[in-house]
Amino acid sequence: MVKKKNPVGRVLIYVLLIGLTVITLTPLIWMLSSSLKIDSEVFTVPIKWIPDDPQWSNYTKVWEKIPLLTFTWNSVKLTVIITIIQVITSSFAAYGFAKCKFKGRNLLFLLYVATMSIPWQVYMLPQYSLMNTFGLVDTHLGYILMQSFNAFGVFLMRQAFISIPDELLEAARIDGLSEYGIYAKIMLPLSKASITTLVIFTFVTIWNDYMGPMIYFNTETNKTIQLGIRMFIGQYSTEYGLVMAVSVLALLPVLIIFLIGQKQFVQGVASSGIKG
Amino acid sequence: MRKKFARTVAFGLLTTMAATTLLSGCGSSNDGGEGSGSGSDEQVTLTLPVWDSETTPYIADIIEGFEAENPNIKINMVDVAASEYMNKLSVMLNGGADCDIVYIKDADSTPSFAEKGQLEDLTPYIEEDGIDTSKYVSYDDFNLDGKQVALPFKTDYYVLYYNKDIFDAAGVAYPTNDMTWTQWEEMCAQLTSGEGSSKIYGGYLHTWQACVENWAIQDGENTILGPDYSFMKPYYEMALRMQDAGTIMDYSTLKTGNIAYASPFQQGTVATLPMGTWFSSTMIAKKAAGETDVNWGIATLPHPDGVEAGYTVGSTTPMAINANSEHKEEAWEFIKYACGEEGAAAQIATGQMPAYQDDTTLESIAALEGMPEGAAEALATKNIVLDRPIDSSSAEINQMLSEEHSLIMIKEKSIDDVLQEMSDRSKEIQGE
Amino acid sequence: MKDKTNKKKKGMTLAMRQNLVGYSFILPNFIGFFIFIFIPVIFSLVLSFSHWDGFTEMEFAGFENFVDIFKDSVFVDSIWQTAYFSIFTVLFSMLASLGLALLLNQKIKARGFFRCALFFPYVASVVAISVVWNAMLQPDYGPVNEFLKFVGISNPPGWLASTDWVIPGLIIVNVWRNMGYFMIIYLAGLQNIDQSLYEAAEIDGAKGWARFRKITWPLLSPSTFFVVMMLIINSFKVFDLVYLMTNGGPGTSSTMISQYIYNQAFISWDYGKSSAAAMILFIIVALLTVFQFKAEKKVVNY
Repeated sequence: MVKKKNPVGRVLIYVLLIGLTVITLTPLIWMLSSSLKIDSEVFTVPIKWIPDDPQWSNYTKVWEKIPLLTFTWNSVKLTVIITIIQVITSSFAAYGFAKCKFKGRNLLFLLYVATMSIPWQVYMLPQYSLMNTFGLVDTHLGYILMQSFNAFGVFLMRQAFISIPDELLEAARIDGLSEYGIYAKIMLPLSKASITTLVIFTFVTIWNDYMGPMIYFNTETNKTIQLGIRMFIGQYSTEYGLVMAVSVLALLPVLIIFLIGQKQFVQGVASSGIKG
Repeated sequence: MRKKFARTVAFGLLTTMAATTLLSGCGSSNDGGEGSGSGSDEQVTLTLPVWDSETTPYIADIIEGFEAENPNIKINMVDVAASEYMNKLSVMLNGGADCDIVYIKDADSTPSFAEKGQLEDLTPYIEEDGIDTSKYVSYDDFNLDGKQVALPFKTDYYVLYYNKDIFDAAGVAYPTNDMTWTQWEEMCAQLTSGEGSSKIYGGYLHTWQACVENWAIQDGENTILGPDYSFMKPYYEMALRMQDAGTIMDYSTLKTGNIAYASPFQQGTVATLPMGTWFSSTMIAKKAAGETDVNWGIATLPHPDGVEAGYTVGSTTPMAINANSEHKEEAWEFIKYACGEEGAAAQIATGQMPAYQDDTTLESIAALEGMPEGAAEALATKNIVLDRPIDSSSAEINQMLSEEHSLIMIKEKSIDDVLQEMSDRSKEIQGE
Repeated sequence: MKDKTNKKKKGMTLAMRQNLVGYSFILPNFIGFFIFIFIPVIFSLVLSFSHWDGFTEMEFAGFENFVDIFKDSVFVDSIWQTAYFSIFTVLFSMLASLGLALLLNQKIKARGFFRCALFFPYVASVVAISVVWNAMLQPDYGPVNEFLKFVGISNPPGWLASTDWVIPGLIIVNVWRNMGYFMIIYLAGLQNIDQSLYEAAEIDGAKGWARFRKITWPLLSPSTFFVVMMLIINSFKVFDLVYLMTNGGPGTSSTMISQYIYNQAFISWDYGKSSAAAMILFIIVALLTVFQFKAEKKVVNY
């Protein structure tokens, strides 16, 4: 924590932050400006930052050209459901891996971690066949089942739980709390920041997933917003103005989630909990 | 203990609830169309994966026309992004009966589907219905080991687009339908003018390797399968020469700037553009929408020295029946319709060149509103060489060529070295 | 809660009870994981020892696929390129995200805005990003090179249009994209540090760097472990970004292992070779992971 004592240092921090932010946001500005151009204007030499004739109609066109409302609803639905299942089951499992001692624990955990390093393209096909036998291809349920149980969440939550001292758990056990009670009453509240992290990550991953929906969904009413973006990328030509417009629209929900979530990262919240 | 129990139950309930709502929700949306036949014949739904349905309106028109003629058959169109279309199609075919009609975007993949036994032999159907196969462009290319595994649906080939205003301003005569590549190169030099952002380029070669290599295979004597690629050398030399002279835009500028061929042409900064026939319908649409005011013309593709005018390069896109489909008869009905006279008419109406052609095809296309004058003569062909031969290693070789192509164009390596490398890699791919 | 002690006496050993409790925690996730991920993964392991086109019957191939891919110079190069890309991505992403997290964990104005701005790159759709960065890194007129020329570098690199600079270019984009993501993990880790430790340190007179080295860094070690691990895994698996930005080019100079895997499966339709390449990727990452876990036991301070 920087105290008020050093005004020069503070100014430096702001300058640094503002500089970094500008650099980071430059591509976003480019995206925004392109979303207001006609296709032939998007790539010009040299770059045009402000379009000659802003095409606000790009933002209405995208709703007309594809069923964007349905796509957005599907994305929201899938993202929310998967995030909920993911957070609940993986934090549950993570408690088992971090704080319970049982036979085969390390082996099982190794299995989880090992699968993380295998690119999805590799087992995509067998997975598809499996889903096909269950009749789950082209259903939201199939996609949810395939995305909800990845190892990442378990791994992330395990790391959070591991850093919570065992003494705290022992004390709770002596107080008569069961393991489930410890999980719910001690571990979860103490890991708010990590849970938020997992929520944000799962949300972003599912929201931005393209290959999964691409392979699994056929019916127009099942498709997601990322599939919508690619509908403007054709075999011989791409409508970049519209691609950018949908991309900007698709950014908004995730940024909102993030804005809400980031409030959890306030210095000192967790530590006060431990002492209480 | 009670709390623990309650929590477990709550958790269980939550999960099952989520699962059941989903199950019911998805179940209903899944097979909505089926079984709703109102007492008439048995209703059949055929699945047809397509790409770019937005820019290829003829597909929807054909489906509409077909469904009107065959009320008991419904076509379920599955729209897939173009870049992953082949990937998705193969996943669907591997899944068994996920699709009934196989619309093969990259025709060179036909043999690999056929080898797996995924394509129905159409010969008996064609014979039974007495289809006049002579009307099809590249019909025989899809005859593999004596089996006609697919029927040509549409065809595209390269022509030369040009901007009449730039020609007028430079005082150069419009391109003729009989021009060699050497003449084209000279013409581009005459048309190039200006500097910086207002520069006019005489020519344009898009970043696809096809836009250099196609001119090398135009004579029909060599194919991209090589394995000796020295025949491509003159065309690579031409491309680099023009790049150095500044008569075409730089490869690396185009590639890293994601510049699509359409933009410079529509902005009027490019005088001549060798491009596929598909670009006509784009130009007509963009002009109608007021997004470009280029006064464009169309001429036959320039040809190599010693080759007749009217030799061009192109590709034909076929349709086939999934051998695992449960409704092959109905699928054939659709293919017969789409690849036949009615389907051809629907394609022509939107500016697409059908694979089923007769004497009136060219004239009908040229007569479309927005087509430039003289299009019928410009579109006439003597021979269309397939850009990618129907061969099981075509796709892989094509990928290899695109990798190597960039090395020449950004001048990282000499033409000879790269052509040698192409040859080595090609042999390796085909040697397997 | 007397019943609990009673139960323990009723024949169940402590170990058995512990096992059951442990399994009950794992089970909900494990069932899904086992069916939908683990089984397909095992199947792909089998594939790496077979010839398979995705549809017709598989044939046992022994180690043929492995021999084939190691004969293929594209694959061997892709290993080195992936390693090169990964090492620098991991290093720079970690440093950048740690730095940002430290900066943004302070009580400063508009903290939420800054966090959000820096997180944005991770959120934006990869399609849009790849198009935007292609333009940013354009050699002749792209903003990056304009800036380099402005600061006096007369001959800036060709980035994605050069076989030597394409990977550094991709590293920049990937670090840009990653830093906000891993900043979040560090921020979460910083929440777990007991403030009283800092207060104690202040009494002892430890400031700035010393405080970071003695308290923050060691206490952040679980986060660092996680960050490095995820970075390694993600950068070795990197696919979308490279596929969309360069598609492995120019030539094959930015072809990563994952792209090789993809091309083998979806251009050559050779799932055997594709899976074999995946197994090699898996072995590399698994070795790094095991090494990390060993190091974790020694270094990480719980």
